[in-house]
Amino acid sequence: MTRKKCVGVLALQGAFQEHIDFLERAALENCYNVTVIPVRTKKELHLCDSLVIPGGESTTMSLIAQRTNFFDDLYTFVHSSQKSVWGTCAGLIFISDELENQNELIKTLHLLHARVKRNAFGRQAQSFTKVCDFSEFIPECTDFPATFIRAPVIDKILDSETVKPLYTIPNNDEEDVIVAAQQGSNVLVTSFHPELADDDIRFHEWFLKKFVVDF
Amino acid sequence: MVANTNVDFKVKSGLAQMLKGGVIMDVVTPEQARIAEKAGACAVMALESIPADMRKSGKVCRMSDPKMIREIMAAVSIPVMAKVRIGHFVEAQVLEALEVDYIDESEVLTPADWSNHIKKNDFKVPFVCGAKDLGEALRRINEGAAMIRTKGEAGTGDVSEAVKHIRKIRAQIQEFGSLLNSPDELRTKAEELRVPTDLLKSTLEQGKLPVVNFAAGGVATPSDAALLMQLGCEGIFVGSGIFKSSDPENLAQAIVQATTYYNDPLKLLQVSSDLGDLMAGVSIESINADKKGTRLSEIGW
Repeated sequence: MTRKKCVGVLALQGAFQEHIDFLERAALENCYNVTVIPVRTKKELHLCDSLVIPGGESTTMSLIAQRTNFFDDLYTFVHSSQKSVWGTCAGLIFISDELENQNELIKTLHLLHARVKRNAFGRQAQSFTKVCDFSEFIPECTDFPATFIRAPVIDKILDSETVKPLYTIPNNDEEDVIVAAQQGSNVLVTSFHPELADDDIRFHEWFLKKFVVDF
Repeated sequence: MVANTNVDFKVKSGLAQMLKGGVIMDVVTPEQARIAEKAGACAVMALESIPADMRKSGKVCRMSDPKMIREIMAAVSIPVMAKVRIGHFVEAQVLEALEVDYIDESEVLTPADWSNHIKKNDFKVPFVCGAKDLGEALRRINEGAAMIRTKGEAGTGDVSEAVKHIRKIRAQIQEFGSLLNSPDELRTKAEELRVPTDLLKSTLEQGKLPVVNFAAGGVATPSDAALLMQLGCEGIFVGSGIFKSSDPENLAQAIVQATTYYNDPLKLLQVSSDLGDLMAGVSIESINADKKGTRLSEIGW
């Protein structure tokens, strides 16, 4: 029998409970030997094989982590090739190498070799849900409801050797922008919120299988 | 149009979900907004004057000047909320055109309509509304509110009303839970609360409100914030408390930390120390004693 794996969800601020609920359900329904915990401290982080950084405000998360001296622990954790990491929305911003805008406000974890643009579609008035065909990377997932809330996008890939786009959408009829990507075999980022997809846990099932159970 | 209602609501309530575990701060200038953002606020509420000063003024309190709200929107990267008077759907149209991220239909301002709240489902911009009990919360949600804040008593620095309102909502959800076994009684209760039976039923089944529930009104210390979080609130609005204190930056940071680590007394001890002079405030009892005093939580229905 394989060792029980532990997935942490960073719980400094934001929609962490939604991720916990989805991951627990996905683990249960697939009989994965996985526990899911909220992570606010170094002690909790050290229990984890994988870390999900949820949506929320990236400025808030980064500042709280810095003030509690938790930032360095997070930095070490996400840079370990033994660990997997998934950043959604604010989580994508928090782990990126570079920010296209508002750089001075956020100290990032410099994990993802990409430049990220915050609030790339605009304000809340430009938030939206779009049904996306993810079947190129998630088998048979042709109709996933992806919700984008004041969402960031990957503006530029800084290392095309390691960072592979998974999905792009058109932004305001301009060129396509990257809204999901993978770096190496252990880092996943999405600018949208699979944890808001009502009862649809397909994205979390795929993450658990590929980045936790089979990792 | 109708087919998209659920999708639109998901986008509206989704932003509130992203704010959870965070602190939303009242600010009256771009400079204060920047201080709030640097302290770790997850959003700001743009206002012309803070509730403590509005209370004293005795004037009609309206939507803030859009020019000032626009300046605050330009000054920070976090979501910006702004208040409209209860029932004033045209102020809401103006703020929607301005593209604020959230509208607060607020009892802190002078109501424009003493019978009707805004039909919030008609708007694309999401709304947060105040509530002091379950019925009021569900009536606002039924009108389209995508987030609820328990009312508390704004501008006082006295947290007791905020505590009362979250306790009330949670106690009622518990108490009415038994009605789930009796469709007739459930319908009668829904009629009494003036809400659809289905909405009451799904709320009782989930054991919580169907939208995010923040606390507001009277939060003045890190411990106040942690108290409300431990009582089940999902985030905190701080109004006058921060910028009426002697060291706003420090206090704002401390309240942010306390909201994250609300269950960790050692961390709360750390952030509660050496905060300078806190908001002096006015106790709820003294408002009650003064016959001229109106409690804001009594406004709205």
